[in-house]
Amino acid sequence: MKNIGHKIVFLSFFVLILVQANAQRFPKPEFESGYEQPSPTTPEPRSNALEYLDVLILFASLSLASWLVIKRRSRRGVLWLSIFTLLYFGFYREGCICSVGSIQNITLALFDPVYKISITVLIFFLLPLVFALFFGRTFCAGACPLGAIQDILVFRPVSIPVWVRKALGFIPYLYLGLAVLYAATGTDFIICRYDPFVGFFRMDGPYTMIIIGIALLLLGLFFARPYCRVFCPYGVLLNWMSRFSKYHMTITPAECISCKLCEPSCPFDAIEIPVSEKVRTQKVLRQNLKRFSLYALLIPVWMFIGGYAVSSSHVLLSKAHQDVYLSELLIAHPELKSDTKNLDIKAFLESGKTFDELVANASLIRAKFKSGGWFLGGFLGLVIGIMIMNQFVFRTKTIYEPHKGDCFSCGRCMDYCPVVKLK
Amino acid sequence: MNQETKLKLLKQIILISAAFCILVAFLLIVNFWQMKKSNPLESQTIEALVQRLAVDDNNEELRKEIRSFDLLARKAYFTSAWQVKTGAYLLFFGGVVLALALKIRTDIQRKIEPPETITDDPMMNKFVSHRWLLVTGGLVFTLALLSAFLSNDYLKSYDPGQFVDTETSSQTETIEVIPIVESVATEKGDSAILSNAVEPVPQAVAETGGAPDTPKTVVKLAKAEDFKKNQSTFRGFLGQGISFHKNIPTNWDGSSGTNVKWKISLSKPGYNTPVIWGDKLFIAGADKTSRVVSCYNRHTGKLLWEKEADNIPGSPATPPKTTDDTGLAAPTMTVDGNCVYALFGTGDLIAFDLDGNRIWAKNLGVPANHYGHSSSLITWNGKIVVQYDTAKGGRMIAINTANGDFIWDIPRANKVSWSSPTLLESKGKMLIITSADPNVIANDLETGAEVWKSPVMSGEVAPSPGVFNNIIFVSNEYAKTVALDAENGGKVIWETDEYLSEVASPVAINGLLFLATSYGVLVCYDAMTGENVWEKEFSSGFYSSPMIAENKVYIIDMSGVMHIIKADRTGTIVKEPELGEAAFALPVFADGKIYLRGKSSLYCIGE
Repeated sequence: MKNIGHKIVFLSFFVLILVQANAQRFPKPEFESGYEQPSPTTPEPRSNALEYLDVLILFASLSLASWLVIKRRSRRGVLWLSIFTLLYFGFYREGCICSVGSIQNITLALFDPVYKISITVLIFFLLPLVFALFFGRTFCAGACPLGAIQDILVFRPVSIPVWVRKALGFIPYLYLGLAVLYAATGTDFIICRYDPFVGFFRMDGPYTMIIIGIALLLLGLFFARPYCRVFCPYGVLLNWMSRFSKYHMTITPAECISCKLCEPSCPFDAIEIPVSEKVRTQKVLRQNLKRFSLYALLIPVWMFIGGYAVSSSHVLLSKAHQDVYLSELLIAHPELKSDTKNLDIKAFLESGKTFDELVANASLIRAKFKSGGWFLGGFLGLVIGIMIMNQFVFRTKTIYEPHKGDCFSCGRCMDYCPVVKLK
Repeated sequence: MNQETKLKLLKQIILISAAFCILVAFLLIVNFWQMKKSNPLESQTIEALVQRLAVDDNNEELRKEIRSFDLLARKAYFTSAWQVKTGAYLLFFGGVVLALALKIRTDIQRKIEPPETITDDPMMNKFVSHRWLLVTGGLVFTLALLSAFLSNDYLKSYDPGQFVDTETSSQTETIEVIPIVESVATEKGDSAILSNAVEPVPQAVAETGGAPDTPKTVVKLAKAEDFKKNQSTFRGFLGQGISFHKNIPTNWDGSSGTNVKWKISLSKPGYNTPVIWGDKLFIAGADKTSRVVSCYNRHTGKLLWEKEADNIPGSPATPPKTTDDTGLAAPTMTVDGNCVYALFGTGDLIAFDLDGNRIWAKNLGVPANHYGHSSSLITWNGKIVVQYDTAKGGRMIAINTANGDFIWDIPRANKVSWSSPTLLESKGKMLIITSADPNVIANDLETGAEVWKSPVMSGEVAPSPGVFNNIIFVSNEYAKTVALDAENGGKVIWETDEYLSEVASPVAINGLLFLATSYGVLVCYDAMTGENVWEKEFSSGFYSSPMIAENKVYIIDMSGVMHIIKADRTGTIVKEPELGEAAFALPVFADGKIYLRGKSSLYCIGE
């Protein structure tokens, strides 16, 4: 559609980053002259003042995005803001601190009394949600570097069938649930580990991370913002908040004339089209009520099945924990116990812990996964149950308006509205 | 310039810049691949040269050669790196030009699109969506349940004392012999090793369930003569493939029962060859559910005992995956008159006394082996030798026969292999000869110390070394057959790639080397020169190895036909009796009888 040029520039730029990221570091030379290489040092933490500056910039970005979308109705302004966000929170701050990943910090702080988080992390987690509660997902529009990097590369988006979107829409809940489970058990921060774009921001990263990032960006040329729509766990929370937003952006500033011009404008299929009253016949209503009631009653069943299934898979899920992994490795391969080439084993041996302690802790972690699996599975069962039930809820619509939960408030549709253009 | 001319010009710029970007991108990929290939850290040539240098440390020419190769590799690496970097910038600027041209062209051509007519039925959309949501939810939870069934909970199989034991034993993993076994052989002269290597000490075997911390265990060690009389290991005495028994039958028919003394069905599958001590014959079998050692009266075929190898600390709850042609009971056991020792594909090593009492057991670590572990055990002078080459690293291990403790456990650089160790007395030492990728190595049996190594082998090595007059013969498919001088640091005497063995091990006698291939050729070489003396092609290939008895080569092909050929330069075929079923194990000879393991039965042949 529009703005094709800069997308190609960015694609080329990412190829450049890919090459740089995979440039092999040559091993350090061994000097015969007696020269000793300086030992690596740990960098100082970022100063509080700069952390508060990040918060300030986030607040300013969210405010500006909300103003640009709701008051100024400027797509161009949102675009420039997202480029700024990409440069600041993305390339300058290297993707960290990040509201998306902050879910894990909050979770771990809740479950691990030893783990503390700074006020800035808490603000980064809450601020976009608060803005979403009032103004919709303006965070996605102009303050999220992960969204920005994909948004500027939307080239020729295609509309995805509703059933595909609905089915894929379950994945963010799954990802969110797993992220919380892994953070709560102190296993891993999987959102950060599998962040596909942080490799670009840092111009370095594992080969697979860069490849997945490139693949998502290429996919994003046609399936707009794939990470945001299919994976983003923070998007789940923003979606919930945004549904209640009072001042959400509208396609038209005045009365919608149902001209249909905005229909193809949303690359994210987030525009709800008018639904005629004609489809709501008595027969259809009766059938829907019947199905709605049936699926409502089945929600506890879904929750139980989900809880049982996920809890049963605790053995597999817990293998990601370092202690569980190491314990199983050594039980299955006791010959590796003194393999100092294996860094995990070396680190363990140097920790001074005994194998019994290691295995005892691993068993404890596994037990946590078993109980946590019930909660995660129950949550997923609830989500799938409600999603299915909702398929039998119909609301009559007479105008074109964005879906408050799914809309990223990017403002593209506003440019298509002739009411604005006639002004 | 009018609009039409502008559009034409822009189109040309777009085409040229796009072609430029594609070309640069292609060159970048080629260059990147080349850079990976010429990484000096992964140069196989340099690695091979460095290994040669390790053998020949004073070779200055070789040093120079390594340095020049190293410099070349580094130059190639840095040149490629510079090219990739420059190419990336070129691509970036090509992309900028392309993007600008596309942007301007799109702006010029932009027009208002007519509204699309959406014909989707919202009711139908929701109905279809609900079905797919049912599928999605069902799929996710089914996968979760499936993972529960497919996951191994190793933590449940943890024995709290397991690591304490291994921690203790790790301290003994040195190349020094720990004198747990009272052996009187160490002070003997060179010639004493084979003639009377291990003298008997009149004490009983350690009691059943002998704990690893037993302070001192005295065992009766067998004489070399006893090992000659019995088939104590894979390929007989010292693993060299030569039997000393006489009156070996040459005529039988397994189908009709001609000259079949007895035939029994085996309870579990396995590819190991039976071993014999006295009147007892031992054989191992395993499947996914259990692993067993069986003992038969070799004269009557009566089952005397069958014991499971279970409850072994460190043994995996689920056996590792193996291919059907290897299984979990491929390694041949070894027996020394006191105990029979069995190793399974799970890494479980277990000792039973000859009456079936369990003496000790331990797990050596589940072998990472994509076919399954198959290297057989061999015992000598109170030690069980284990060649444990896995995908995670190679080890040579000597285990105390009395209590299962490690005497020495030496890591080695060889890749995963399937061959078995052969013993050879050389310069007053009993050497363990092993063949694997890339090295043929000779270790001192007593200390485990590496005496020499020769980087001549490659690929997935399964054939074990053959021996004749201090010449070692190794072979492997897609590699070569090599004769090495055991008394001269493993120096290559001759080599050929004419016929290569995939599984069967070479055997040598009377100055002749016999080699069998998996495609049915049995070839005889002059052991000293490598000259092809004769070759014979048969309709079925060989996985079983040739054995020599009474100056005849006995080799059974995969269809069960035994080819009995004179072990001389004529290569006269004596007989070709049939077993009547597929066979992969080696023939075992004892007192005028042959014991043959078919795919599912065990036969005793006697005329």
